[in-house]
Amino acid sequence: MMVKCVIWDLDNTLLSGVYLESPQEPPEADPVMLAAAALLRDRGIVHAVATRNPPEAAQYAARATGLEFAAAECGWGRKSDAVRQIAEDLGLGADAIAFVDDDLYERAEVSYAVPEALVLSPEDMADAVGWPEFSPAVVTAEARRRGEMYAERRRRQEEARAFGGSRDEFLRYSETRVTIAPATADDVPRLHELSVRTHQFNTTGHAMSQPDLHALIGAAQYQVTTVRLADRFGDDGLVGGCAAARGTDGAWTVTLLMMSCRAMGRGVIETLLAWLARSAAQEGAATLAVPCLISPRNVPLRLALAASGFRAAEGGGPGEPVAVFFRTLSGPLPGLPPWLTVAVAERAGPG
Amino acid sequence: MTAAAPEVTNALREILARVTGREELAGLGDQVPLFGPGVGLDSLTGTLLLREVHRRFGVDVAAEDLNLDALATLGTLAGFVAQRVHSEHERRIRG
Repeated sequence: MMVKCVIWDLDNTLLSGVYLESPQEPPEADPVMLAAAALLRDRGIVHAVATRNPPEAAQYAARATGLEFAAAECGWGRKSDAVRQIAEDLGLGADAIAFVDDDLYERAEVSYAVPEALVLSPEDMADAVGWPEFSPAVVTAEARRRGEMYAERRRRQEEARAFGGSRDEFLRYSETRVTIAPATADDVPRLHELSVRTHQFNTTGHAMSQPDLHALIGAAQYQVTTVRLADRFGDDGLVGGCAAARGTDGAWTVTLLMMSCRAMGRGVIETLLAWLARSAAQEGAATLAVPCLISPRNVPLRLALAASGFRAAEGGGPGEPVAVFFRTLSGPLPGLPPWLTVAVAERAGPG
Repeated sequence: MTAAAPEVTNALREILARVTGREELAGLGDQVPLFGPGVGLDSLTGTLLLREVHRRFGVDVAAEDLNLDALATLGTLAGFVAQRVHSEHERRIRG
């Protein structure tokens, strides 16, 4: 499992001393930990803080390290609760979290209460930058901006909480723009990265290699689509994609559907499903099928399918690892949400 | 389907208003569709709702209901939850 977020203790871990022992002249960043953190940031891994200190300590650590923290939990509760809270705030599974602390007791407590997380001492961390869990095969433009995107996301959530109206009104106020376009060879590294990183919105549950993605884009019977997302708070870039096989029997099958969890709650997956249904109907398809791995992790995807009028075929059940979700394309099709700008680029060339 | 106790429906209504951040849903009728315009339950608010139902009642709706039909309305969700809570209670009594 790839680590997406490192949660740092501050005292004697990310800082080279104890913050509260000298608040007038707090300790500097630990040079070895800072070098590791900067390296991981450039690989698209985000940083967060869990510290037994007042909130000023996290603000100080951000200045002292020059790192942008996606989340900070400052207080005297259990570190495992802080780790779970940060994972929830960032929309990440606990198995995408690494936790670094110099205190043996804290590490034991987090290991016991959050067994999915990778728990490391500072000495481990210095070495771990070379481990596969911290070494994504590709680093895309989206990955390098990930820390900033989480900061934009925090501002978006703060405004959403203060905003009085419904979700749709907030999306309109945010000038949400969803761009749907045919995939090109340039999109392959990011689509590969999404296939590795997405779990909550992923129908297959396994990664797709770059050569396989190139082959899929070149195959005439497949329609491979990308989704980009931006609003007044920032540009999230390429957040999702799907591949649909045009069946000869009037049935389209979505063989891959994936979406970054950053797009969650922003109307994007519903827009893509509505657009897919309309697109298949336009080409004469009678049904649209979405085979989907059934797992506790991708319940958000099942919610989106249910909200978009899909139903699992007879015979499937929660005990089955894969269920096929269907919708017919006769009768009224789902409308594209009016509060979104959906730019659908034309497919270049024949096919 | 077991008729849901009003306490269950009321608790679910409060949870829905909280996870959507929309106080007006605290007065939502138990026959109003949760998906679609109006309430507009989506993947984010739906996940928060299911998580809170699991935490509060110990009922994992997604594990038992492939199509998530229980989320049709507050009434269907309350019925689903009440029935599971009831069966669990019976099971414990019978040992």
